[in-house]
Amino acid sequence: MTTKRFTLQEALFLAFCACFIVITRAAFRLHLNIPGHAMFFTMFFLILARGCVPRLGAATLAGLLAGLLCTLLGMGKGGPLIILKFLVPALIVDLAGLFYNGLAGSFVACAIVGALGAASRFLTIIVVEWTIGMEWDLILQHALISSACGVIFGVLGSLMAPPIVRKLTAHGLIASRSH
Amino acid sequence: MEKWERTEKSGFKANAFQYCAGNSPIHRLGAGWKIILAVAFSAAAIAAREPWMLAGLLAINLAYYLSARLGLMNLWRDVRFFLIQMAIILVLYLIKYGIAEGLWPGLRTGCQILLLFLPGTVLLRTTEGTRMMRSLKKIMPERLSFLLFTSLRFVPFFARETREIVMAQQLRGAPVGIRYAWNPIHWKDQFQCLMIPLMVRALKTAKSAALSAEARGFEDRL
Repeated sequence: MTTKRFTLQEALFLAFCACFIVITRAAFRLHLNIPGHAMFFTMFFLILARGCVPRLGAATLAGLLAGLLCTLLGMGKGGPLIILKFLVPALIVDLAGLFYNGLAGSFVACAIVGALGAASRFLTIIVVEWTIGMEWDLILQHALISSACGVIFGVLGSLMAPPIVRKLTAHGLIASRSH
Repeated sequence: MEKWERTEKSGFKANAFQYCAGNSPIHRLGAGWKIILAVAFSAAAIAAREPWMLAGLLAINLAYYLSARLGLMNLWRDVRFFLIQMAIILVLYLIKYGIAEGLWPGLRTGCQILLLFLPGTVLLRTTEGTRMMRSLKKIMPERLSFLLFTSLRFVPFFARETREIVMAQQLRGAPVGIRYAWNPIHWKDQFQCLMIPLMVRALKTAKSAALSAEARGFEDRL
């Protein structure tokens, strides 16, 4: 980590992670109608992005690009506000990575970050409904109902990341210093 | 519109919030103007509290949506998610305050949420990706727009790659595919079979694309 800037290769890999989030979202929305299932792949690829590119801002860049791509391709509910749905979990992944460098290789850390990241959908709901003037207890109840499935999927998705990161590290495809 | 009708005839359902080709005045309006309109209408939705204000705003939003000639079917596809949210909010209000006191605040809040998002839906429905990108390019840093366009360019490439990997793994007898996705027992195997080759491909493609971009004079650091 000699410099804070991403190499072109790293940045392109993060852009590809954003691609994968969009592709899986598009593929599964046609087949599964379970609320919150998109969080499975979102959290998986965000943690994988951080695991493969162990620099501050890696997940955030992947999340921002995924949000912009989804906006451009007209995917997801909420119009342009969808950027927040990717950006906030990505910020949580990066923040967690800042405190614990071996995040992507640890099941426990991934599960916690997966739950927190998926629960960040709370935040979007809270911001929108607080702006409208809804009462706090009703906002929290609504956020809980809307995000519960997402949290379960987020945890499951993030638990899929460590084996992949470990295998990629073992084969020397990514640097081993962070896991 | 013709393109849209073709997809309808072919049996594929157009997804909610996706661009619909057309030649309406809203389609011809610049992306920047549509963003300004979306922000203005959404701000009005937050401010609206009285029934007459909400009714007026709803009428304006519907007129805006329908003047884009998107049709009632598309309107249904776009609002159905918000109708579910409206129902949840209404039920929460009714539980807390009862029918007499909870009905109007529940309806008002649900309506406000719908009106907050509807103008953004019109923006997505009537603005082609390329036009939106051109507008984004003006406000976005050059490096970020390079990455955005590259990732957009690679979406079909990786979709094809994923299909090929799935096919190859299925030929080897791996439990990969949508029908196995329903069963969580297969998830770990699916991930091992699908994600590792995909990640290896992504890492290699990133390396060659970076080399190619550097050869064209791009900085090696972003």
